[in-house]
Amino acid sequence: MEKSVLTKASHDTSPTGFTPVRIEVEGLRQSFGKFPALNGVSLAIEPGELLALLGPSGSGKTTLLRAIAGLATPDDGRILFQGEEANRLSLRERRVGFVFQQYALFRHMTVFDNIAFGLRVRPRKLRPKKSDIATRVQHLLKLVQLDDLGSRFPSQLSGGQRQRVALARALAIEPRVLLLDEPFGALDAKVRKELRHWLRGLHNETGLTTIFVTHDQEEALELADRVVIMREGVIEQIGKPADIYDHPATPFVCEFLGNIIKVNTTIVDGLAPALGKSFAPVGDASKGPAVAYVRNHDVDVLPDGSEGAAAKLLSTRTFGGSLALEFDVAGFAAPVEIHIPRMSDAPVAFTAGALYRLKARKAYVFSGR
Amino acid sequence: MAAASLPGKFLNRAPSIIPGFGLTMGITVSWLSFIVLLPLVALVLRATGIGFEGFAAMLGDQRVLSALKLSFGAALAGALINAFAGLIIAWVLVRYTFPGRRLVDGLIDLPFALPTAVSGLALAALYAPNGWLGVPLAELGIKVAFTPTGVVIACMFIGLPFVVRQVQPVLGDVDKALEEAAATLGATRVQTIFRVILPMILPALLAGFALAFARAVGEYGSIIFIAGNLPFKSEIAPLLIIIKLEEFNYEGATAIAVIMLLLSFAVLLAVNLLQSWGRRRTGLGS
Repeated sequence: MEKSVLTKASHDTSPTGFTPVRIEVEGLRQSFGKFPALNGVSLAIEPGELLALLGPSGSGKTTLLRAIAGLATPDDGRILFQGEEANRLSLRERRVGFVFQQYALFRHMTVFDNIAFGLRVRPRKLRPKKSDIATRVQHLLKLVQLDDLGSRFPSQLSGGQRQRVALARALAIEPRVLLLDEPFGALDAKVRKELRHWLRGLHNETGLTTIFVTHDQEEALELADRVVIMREGVIEQIGKPADIYDHPATPFVCEFLGNIIKVNTTIVDGLAPALGKSFAPVGDASKGPAVAYVRNHDVDVLPDGSEGAAAKLLSTRTFGGSLALEFDVAGFAAPVEIHIPRMSDAPVAFTAGALYRLKARKAYVFSGR
Repeated sequence: MAAASLPGKFLNRAPSIIPGFGLTMGITVSWLSFIVLLPLVALVLRATGIGFEGFAAMLGDQRVLSALKLSFGAALAGALINAFAGLIIAWVLVRYTFPGRRLVDGLIDLPFALPTAVSGLALAALYAPNGWLGVPLAELGIKVAFTPTGVVIACMFIGLPFVVRQVQPVLGDVDKALEEAAATLGATRVQTIFRVILPMILPALLAGFALAFARAVGEYGSIIFIAGNLPFKSEIAPLLIIIKLEEFNYEGATAIAVIMLLLSFAVLLAVNLLQSWGRRRTGLGS
């Protein structure tokens, strides 16, 4: 990406510099009728952090984002921008850059006018000169790589381009924080991946505190500095992507991150057997029923006669760099799917109908069922 | 081969799942010709009977001129007032839920449904010098019945549904996220309304205005009772046509009709040009 006036280094002199802000959320509650969308959420977001709010629909992640933006008024709790209580600030005073799920571009305005909107609606005293607005919009167009498309209308752009216009429009007001609601939801897989990388680059360049909402765990784990996993209006786990992936705190997190085999088991003397091996539970239960979660790729497939759970191979299927093997394992109602890496062009060395042994390398055991 | 593909190219159409372009186009053209164009042509041909001097004399006639002025002036005034009122009514119906909303919504169509003579009688009874509204208005020194004001009020009555029904669905389609986007970008409510919402519904508002105007220009039944039909003062052009007909002055009647036709056409053309200019400028509906 081209170096622009929006870099951190130049923010003291540039009219379009960004100052990262620390955001705190304290005991936020909000209900819609009887349904509690936020049930006491507290959270601190460091200046310049890229944070993902991850959760299934109805988990309260969008409500939290809208509360931070000031688009929704929480029933209880506080939101602090750099220590200053934001609840009493108007939307204009909050200076929040919000990118809407369907972009919400003004379709009767050109790309240029869309981006300039936030500057032109300022009170006369604070409004930049016409020529300054034009310069700033040009900088932003360059930043989002749409240099030549200023005179187009939103209807003449692709989905990815509209997304970037929405981003440029949000950045034009020199926001203190950038909020994105399902930013890649409406795009196809390839554009989604490209934009994800591009957004990461943009974040590194602007240094803005950024929060985005997603239901796609891959997106959250790849893009964010920290991930907040939400469920039914409460925070289930907060952590760096690798920490969350390697140390899921609850069964919900395990299931939500996906690609797992669920094993019903029992803890005896502090150990629970799951797919040919025994594991210590998360927490300190020493006995009782438990559930073990094994990731599909955390299982070794061994020849028959080795140590491990006996399994009969039902079918094999390749997808990309992986081989998916479906086994019939005693004690499992549904077939168990194992993923192992595969070289391109390598012949499949497994035969359907043959017997193998499965041995888990890692499992997450939670007591209770 | 080339000859076979030529008509398709000429008409510039893609192969469709439902065939029958030729048939439906044929019906469209002949229908429009017989039902719409033919009567208009007959009207114009008939009017040419009085010749250029006849037309000039007609336009020089003070009574004809003031009738035309009243018809078009009152229709324009009524449509303009309706554009404002209709916009606000459509806004309330779309944006708020309140008890009786469906009833209010149904009420809008009443001027559509009422026989024009019925609405004319109702308006006349209400605004007559001894009517419910006529008496208090007279005390304030305002005369409505038998004046141009009465004609404007009748035009307002019959034109309202057109504006509301044009604007309502478009306003309903304006995404709430657009208003939220404007607000997060720092726009005030007034700025949001004038810079975001109004430009989006302007084409529909213009269309509603044009329809309300067109209806009011041609209106007869609901106006004549309240207007009182005083020549040079509250006599509308359609009534003058009837009067000429009753005097067996067919050429004179058709001449006024042709003048009305041309004026109406000019106004509708202007509105259309305005709309397409707006489309080009804003990219809406393109």
